[in-house]
Amino acid sequence: MNTDSQKKTLTFDNVSKTYGDITALNKLSFSIAEGELYGLIGPNGAGKTTSIRLLLGLERPSEGRIEILGHSPSNRAHYSEIGYMPQETSLYIELTVEENLELFGRLYGLDRSALKNKISELLAFVELTERRKTVVANLSGGMKHRASLAVALLPEPKLLILDEPTVGVDPELRQGFWSRFAEMQKKGITILITTHYMDEAAHCHRVGLISSGHLIAQGTPNALLKESQAKNLEEAFLKLIKREAIK
Amino acid sequence: MSLKRTLAITKKQFLSIGHDPRSLALMILAPIMAMLIFGFAFGTQPEHVKVVIVNHDHGTLASQFINKINHTDLDITTSTNKSEAKNQVKNGQSVAAIIFPNDFTADALPRLAPRGGQLLPPKGTKITVFLDTTDQQLSAVVNSSLAAASQKMESGSGSSLPITFSTDYAFPKAKDAGYINYFAAGIMVFAITVFTTLLTLLAFVGERTSGTLDRLRITPANETEIVVGYELAFGAIAAVQGILLLAVAYFVYHILIIGSVFLAGLLIVLTAIDAQIIGVLISAAAKRESQAVQFLPFIIFPVFLLSGIFIPVQSLPNWLRPFSYVLPTTWAIDGIRDVLLRGWGLSHIWPHLLILLGFAVILSTLAIVGLKRNRQ
Ligand SMILES: Nc1ncnc2c1ncn2[C@@H]1O[C@H](COP(=O)(O)OP(=O)(O)OP(=O)(O)O)[C@@H](O)[C@H]1O
Ligand SMILES: [Mg+2]
Repeated sequence: MNTDSQKKTLTFDNVSKTYGDITALNKLSFSIAEGELYGLIGPNGAGKTTSIRLLLGLERPSEGRIEILGHSPSNRAHYSEIGYMPQETSLYIELTVEENLELFGRLYGLDRSALKNKISELLAFVELTERRKTVVANLSGGMKHRASLAVALLPEPKLLILDEPTVGVDPELRQGFWSRFAEMQKKGITILITTHYMDEAAHCHRVGLISSGHLIAQGTPNALLKESQAKNLEEAFLKLIKREAIK
Repeated sequence: MSLKRTLAITKKQFLSIGHDPRSLALMILAPIMAMLIFGFAFGTQPEHVKVVIVNHDHGTLASQFINKINHTDLDITTSTNKSEAKNQVKNGQSVAAIIFPNDFTADALPRLAPRGGQLLPPKGTKITVFLDTTDQQLSAVVNSSLAAASQKMESGSGSSLPITFSTDYAFPKAKDAGYINYFAAGIMVFAITVFTTLLTLLAFVGERTSGTLDRLRITPANETEIVVGYELAFGAIAAVQGILLLAVAYFVYHILIIGSVFLAGLLIVLTAIDAQIIGVLISAAAKRESQAVQFLPFIIFPVFLLSGIFIPVQSLPNWLRPFSYVLPTTWAIDGIRDVLLRGWGLSHIWPHLLILLGFAVILSTLAIVGLKRNRQ
């Protein structure tokens, strides 16, 4: 896929972010084209979540420039066009699953009947229909995650940002999630996803490998395999990180 | 029981305090602050109680009397017009109008008999005190200062003078108002303020730590909507609480309700809204629930001691008084007392409402700007 000729949905241009002496991002540059399913992969503390928070305008970069849907991250105009699932559950734990969905649905401006339909459809998708009246605090870890994903899918987004959406989710449902992501991508939605599961990275059009806040490799899964002469993505990932460390 | 394990738990606690210098500072500061404010606030008698004196006396005795009044206890202004002085009391500008009649001197001293040079006993005279009893601590100072002055006069002249006091009440219905009437407004405002601040503080710290605030912020909901949304919820809760508190005060303690209950309720709702935004503002400084709770003494003690619940604001030391006026609770309590005990209506209370509203607008703006700055 030739990304240069396509419209960019988001761009990181030499972005750095420091917290005291910790450098979370170090001159990170990459961009995602409209309609792409892009996977951001990297070890713990690599800077995946930090990049997403900067992208959403929740924090400010120390250096560099970020553009999202043609705006600076601090511009609110595009907020209704983004679906976001944070790494932590981030729901009102004292409210039921359904009440959480209703709240965020209203904030996204869905009208009553559309919201009702959307909620039952999403509850069915994350397999929480039966638990919709359960307060989030009483859900299992994986269920909380599923409820959080449902909230992220509430708006009709142009861009979907998912921070480790499949952590703690059982294999069958994980597969269901990925077919949904693929489906949404086919409808033209751009998706940025972070994950630790290498088999999942294979679903992405392109994968960016990030380590110590810097992009160390980027390309289609096949290209990465070729580049590193590895049998699978897991091995490729380890080899590329080692190669970077030697440099 | 193992000492080693017990000490391990103890050590863990010190470690977590050590990792959290702010908690440590608060732990040390809060009790000191409480002690200081308590001492300064309760250590002083009510002083500088405002009174207005009307001296119509043709002689000099009234002036002598006035000179004997302790000028620290009473803060004296003078007026030449009786009804104007009374109006000052009715308006709440003075606690009492003290009126000396034309023939005060003449009637207090022995007089010459109409025929012959014989001295007749004095006719007797009286000082009229037009008194506001809605704050009994202040009216008590007026009474005791006048009694003291009267005693000094007598010991000065070596004989008893036939001076009596006649008291008129500026708010006759509140004539026998017990302390409970005076405290009720303060306790209501205090309870609502502490409750609301604590609740919002915890709710907002929860919003920040759980990540829901971030999630809200990347929906089309903006900071103003978030803050005002909270205000409406707590305003409504406070309205219900206010009604309940007023009902308890009325049915259990039989407090006087001379003015409009609605107006008192409105003041309570505004109090809660101010308290709520203060909670939001403090939440920005707290990273965890446990830190949030440590800020509470910094709300409770100033409100408790400086907003006139027990200690009249007038009698606080001069340097401490300005702090009273920057507490919304001071205005709320004063306003609610005016409504309940003096029966004042909107024409008198609008400055209180305006000030409470002003606090709400200014504090909300700060909260909203704080949230926005946090985002970008
Ligand atoms: N608020 C913060 N204050 C200080 N350091 C932070 C903060 N947020 C992130 N960091 C640091 O930034 C670095 C990158 O963290 P980030 O959360 O982006 O990693 P990640 O790639 O998402 O990791 P994971 O796969 O574990 O989720 C880490 O070293 C982390 O400690
Ligand atoms: Mg992360």
